[in-house]
Amino acid sequence: MEHHASLLAQWLTQVLGLSRHAWLGFAHGSPLSVLERYDHLLNAALAALTAMLITALVRKNLARIPGPLQQIFEGVVEGLKEMINDNIAHHGEKYLPFIGTMALFVFFNNFFGLIPALSPGTSNWNVTLGSALVVFGYYNFHGMKEQGFLKYWAHFMGPIWWLAPLLFPLEILGLLSRILSHSLRLFGNIAGEHVVAGIFFGLMPILLPVPMMFLGLFFGLIQTFVFTMLTTIYLSGAVSHEH
Amino acid sequence: MKKFLTTAFLFTLAAVAFAQGAPVVQKSLFEGQYVAHLSLAIAAAGCGLGQGKAVMAACEGVARNPQAAGNIRTTMIIGLALIEALVIYVLVAAFAIK
Repeated sequence: MEHHASLLAQWLTQVLGLSRHAWLGFAHGSPLSVLERYDHLLNAALAALTAMLITALVRKNLARIPGPLQQIFEGVVEGLKEMINDNIAHHGEKYLPFIGTMALFVFFNNFFGLIPALSPGTSNWNVTLGSALVVFGYYNFHGMKEQGFLKYWAHFMGPIWWLAPLLFPLEILGLLSRILSHSLRLFGNIAGEHVVAGIFFGLMPILLPVPMMFLGLFFGLIQTFVFTMLTTIYLSGAVSHEH
Repeated sequence: MKKFLTTAFLFTLAAVAFAQGAPVVQKSLFEGQYVAHLSLAIAAAGCGLGQGKAVMAACEGVARNPQAAGNIRTTMIIGLALIEALVIYVLVAAFAIK
């Protein structure tokens, strides 16, 4: 896949006077600076900073009569709470901070593709793989914490003891492939949408990309929802006790 | 089915004809970007059929029982995302093939 550094990274390279090196570039590609090569990290960091700033702003201005921003955030938190309560049986609300953090991070990353001169951090596999790995570590840790180490791993053995040698490797494979599917889904959707919008922009820069960007608005929201929902479902599968 | 096969065959011929016109190294039909594009088309077709069936069933469900619209919508979106993921894998593979 061709690599296009975002305009912001190119501009920052010029402003900061960073030198471009061939060893930083891709094979058979033009030399790149650090910022252009690790463009996705710049965008992901920007998205995380934006999310933190906005939430800090909301938190600082908490009022009894909420303003528009506070209302939006109250809606988001209520929605997440409802989703968690629907999926995780007992006192699932302690996972709300983590799930909300992931949701906001992914949301802002997705939407940075719609701002000119930026590219979405999630259109690089490294960012989504990182998110998926964090989620993977989190639900395994909490599964082991809730159920106990042995009991957690024993529930991969399957219902019948003599099937365990067959089922255990399969279940472990399924567990590991969750990382792949969880990260590739987000990455592919956002990257594909971004590439199509870019091609439309190349065809005709005025008006033609607008429908695609509108679709991108929708897809970004849907993919955030799906990522969060799957996080909740994996978490629920890991921490729920079998009765 | 016969019509479909004929059309598919004609398109294959067209691909060969275009490839001969272009000043690139002649490639077999079953390597490189041809495979990427063709597999993406096949995956998209299958995904379209599958998602269409899923949305159809969800619409019927909502029409019969509008009270359950919220639950059905959530389940449908999750299902659609899982179906779509299969095409996304092919898309990623298509990106990976040069």
